[in-house]
Amino acid sequence: MSSFKLIVNKEKKTISADPDTPLLWVLRDILGLTGTKYACGKGLCGSCTVIVNGKSVRSCTLSVADAAQSEVITIEGLSEKGDHPIQKAWMEADVPQCGYCQPGFIMSAFDLLSKNPNPTEEEVNNVLSGNICRCGTYSRIRKAMQIAVKVGNQ
Amino acid sequence: MKNTLGRRNFIKLTASASGALVVGLHFQSCAPKKEPVENFSFVPLIEIDTEGWVTLIAKNPEIGQGVKTALPMILAEELGADWDKVKVVQGDYNKAYEEQWAGGSYAVILNWDLMRTAGAKVRYALIGAASQKMNVPTSELITRKGSVVHKKTEKSIPFGDLVAAASQIALPEEVEFKPMDTYEIVGKPCPQVDLDNIVNGSVQYTIDLKLPDMVYATVLKNPVHKGKVQSFDDSQTRKISGVIDVIPLDNSNYGGRLIGPNSPNFVNGVAVLANSTWAAFKGTEKLEVVWDNSESKKENTQDIFSHYHNQLNTTSVERQDGNIDQARRRAVSQVEHVYELPFLAHVTMEPMNCIVDFSSEMCEVWAPTQNPEALEQGLIKLFGLQPEQIKIHLPRMGGGFGRRYYVDYAMDAAVLSKKMGRPVKLIWTREEDIKHDWYRPASVQRLSAWLDQDGKVIGWRQVLSNASRVTSLGREGNPAGTEIDEYDFPAGFVPNLQFEYGHVLSDVPLGQWRAVGPTATAFAAHSFLNELAIHNKKDHIDFFLEFLGPPRMVPVVGDFKYDTGRLRAVIEKVRENSNWNSPLPEGQGRGFAAHRQAGSFVAEVVTVEVNADNQLKIVRVDAVVDCGIVVNPSGAEAQVEGAILEGLCAALYGEITIEDGATVQSNFHDYRWMRLGEIPEIHVEFIKNDLPPRGLGEPPLPPAAAALANAIYAASGVRIRRLPIGNQLLDI
Repeated sequence: MSSFKLIVNKEKKTISADPDTPLLWVLRDILGLTGTKYACGKGLCGSCTVIVNGKSVRSCTLSVADAAQSEVITIEGLSEKGDHPIQKAWMEADVPQCGYCQPGFIMSAFDLLSKNPNPTEEEVNNVLSGNICRCGTYSRIRKAMQIAVKVGNQ
Repeated sequence: MKNTLGRRNFIKLTASASGALVVGLHFQSCAPKKEPVENFSFVPLIEIDTEGWVTLIAKNPEIGQGVKTALPMILAEELGADWDKVKVVQGDYNKAYEEQWAGGSYAVILNWDLMRTAGAKVRYALIGAASQKMNVPTSELITRKGSVVHKKTEKSIPFGDLVAAASQIALPEEVEFKPMDTYEIVGKPCPQVDLDNIVNGSVQYTIDLKLPDMVYATVLKNPVHKGKVQSFDDSQTRKISGVIDVIPLDNSNYGGRLIGPNSPNFVNGVAVLANSTWAAFKGTEKLEVVWDNSESKKENTQDIFSHYHNQLNTTSVERQDGNIDQARRRAVSQVEHVYELPFLAHVTMEPMNCIVDFSSEMCEVWAPTQNPEALEQGLIKLFGLQPEQIKIHLPRMGGGFGRRYYVDYAMDAAVLSKKMGRPVKLIWTREEDIKHDWYRPASVQRLSAWLDQDGKVIGWRQVLSNASRVTSLGREGNPAGTEIDEYDFPAGFVPNLQFEYGHVLSDVPLGQWRAVGPTATAFAAHSFLNELAIHNKKDHIDFFLEFLGPPRMVPVVGDFKYDTGRLRAVIEKVRENSNWNSPLPEGQGRGFAAHRQAGSFVAEVVTVEVNADNQLKIVRVDAVVDCGIVVNPSGAEAQVEGAILEGLCAALYGEITIEDGATVQSNFHDYRWMRLGEIPEIHVEFIKNDLPPRGLGEPPLPPAAAALANAIYAASGVRIRRLPIGNQLLDI
């Protein structure tokens, strides 16, 4: 066991874990931030997407040792009251079905729109195709992205 | 419209200690007179507090199908509640709720009358109480947005001020339902109840829960189906920091592979228990297990399919109308083709997991299950518990699709918690989840049709061969029953028709996968009907409408008949919506299929493009659905889109293969799922009518693959008779 310092959702955290522990399990089992989901464990589906030092990362394949000293934003830290424009867009479009993959999609969308507030449909497709929704909410994700882009440009 | 419930349940009003009005179901056992009334269990459905807040219990498990929103909407509608003052709470498992499961697209069908009756009885009591207070006849009162309103004067009393008096009102046997033209909640798009907590990440699935003193566990199962554990070396596992224990799971100590008809027990393997999920995952990687595969057939996919093909010639007759031999003799032409479908996995995004606290006499379970009753029965069988010792909570689930109808993973967790004497959260890795699924049965089907001089189909023979779910799950009855059904289309539409079944035994674990049997039979039938239309040089939809004949009630099996007018109507509408007869650019084509399931009618047109390099793109899908009353148009549209994408995705990529008795695929890299960039535009329309609501989660799925294959033919001239499509086009 080693000790690691992280800034998670703007709070300083010192945690004790084996260095190879994926950030995902640190967030979920140690810090209780369960909005970040386990679904594949191999960086294939995007359900565990978080922002590390301003970049979207699959937290299931990033070890806590490699994440040490980083600034991490999870779905819980995206906004104070769950009212980030992307979250509001997701609500307006009533996107989720089972909902399990949605925090990952929202974090991927957040990463895209932070860098590119006006993405083309192709850019949206390219970035969000890293995430899997098993229920098939994709049409509504597209709609929510259009709403979020529009709100962002107002 | 009046209703009395012909059930063992009856609805009762009571007042809670805090003065709230509580309305729920009392459960009468099958021999009601022998039991004192106080022994009956009571479960709440509606609670109205003195502030007027209405709490509605969502009784059925939520897997993403929207039932946690839809059933409370029906209650709220009939009650006349203000949806903005409604809180929805998921109910725990309780026999008194009845039909508390998710499957077969049945939740709304089975609860429509129950929800309306409960809501209407409470409305009756509230109106009765208001009538006394206002001194006006009940006939002049209605409920609207959380108040009882006097129609003539618009004077109103909020529900909260009526709860005390309402709890004293005697409920009648029969209640009047609200006229549907006065609906304010049902039929209007309603965002799902957990929406805000899903998007802020706070909604808790079972996998997210944590109990005091809880141990984390995972399992390494014998990858070979029907295999066992011979021996294992856990010395390296135990060296990993955080690992607490290693426990073998041997189902022969717990009643074997099946714990009851339709209820698989846990699969043999070795479990690692630890103080974190990661330590448990790492621990299983260090296990050295010698597997005992002496009872395995060591199958591989190629052999399985060759058995299926062979068995097409050794069949039992499952339905026989007229005489296909006479049709064959009379026919001027014959068309015959063979279709193949693969095994499919469910891959719910939330992998199999379960929390069990068996640290005392009580067994408390948090289970992502579509089938809590099977879970209860499993616990009773494995541990000899009494029902009173079992408590089952039903957190929201990250998908179901039929996988969570089986409770094998919950049995894992129960055995481990019992052994540890501590609460256990068991999480399967994605690899275990895919390798130990209960797959959609693969099948081979041979379809033959005989046509007269006018191209009319006078004989139809459909032969399906496979390993059956009935046999795999130890269900009672005919193995053909789950695979080729006497109700399957086109039964009832061809005078000489024969369905046959060839039964093969296999080790591959089989279960229900969204929309079940028709995912195979409807693919074959509607692909074949397209081939018949082409044989006749006719437009597919024209040919299909002729095949259906004029609108009428068609008897299918016994007294069961349905209205082909409703089927025709969805077809005619989808023809219009998809601009079926308009020209398409070079390389594009449209395909059609229609389907009836769970009482609903669906017609779909898929438009595809196959480019010069034979690359396939699905451009657009049009769907028209008649499911009767649409309770929640937002949730309903989502179900239709989801089912269509699931059908298309499985057709494109879905395939589980078997080698040496084990499943080859292990994660999303080799069990591919559709991504955002691949999906077509989808246009869904519902037929508006006042008929009772019918199923929606499944009916739109089966026609999607056939419509896709038919579109590929229209675009490229290539006929897909084997799924998945995979690289078949590129390999030409």
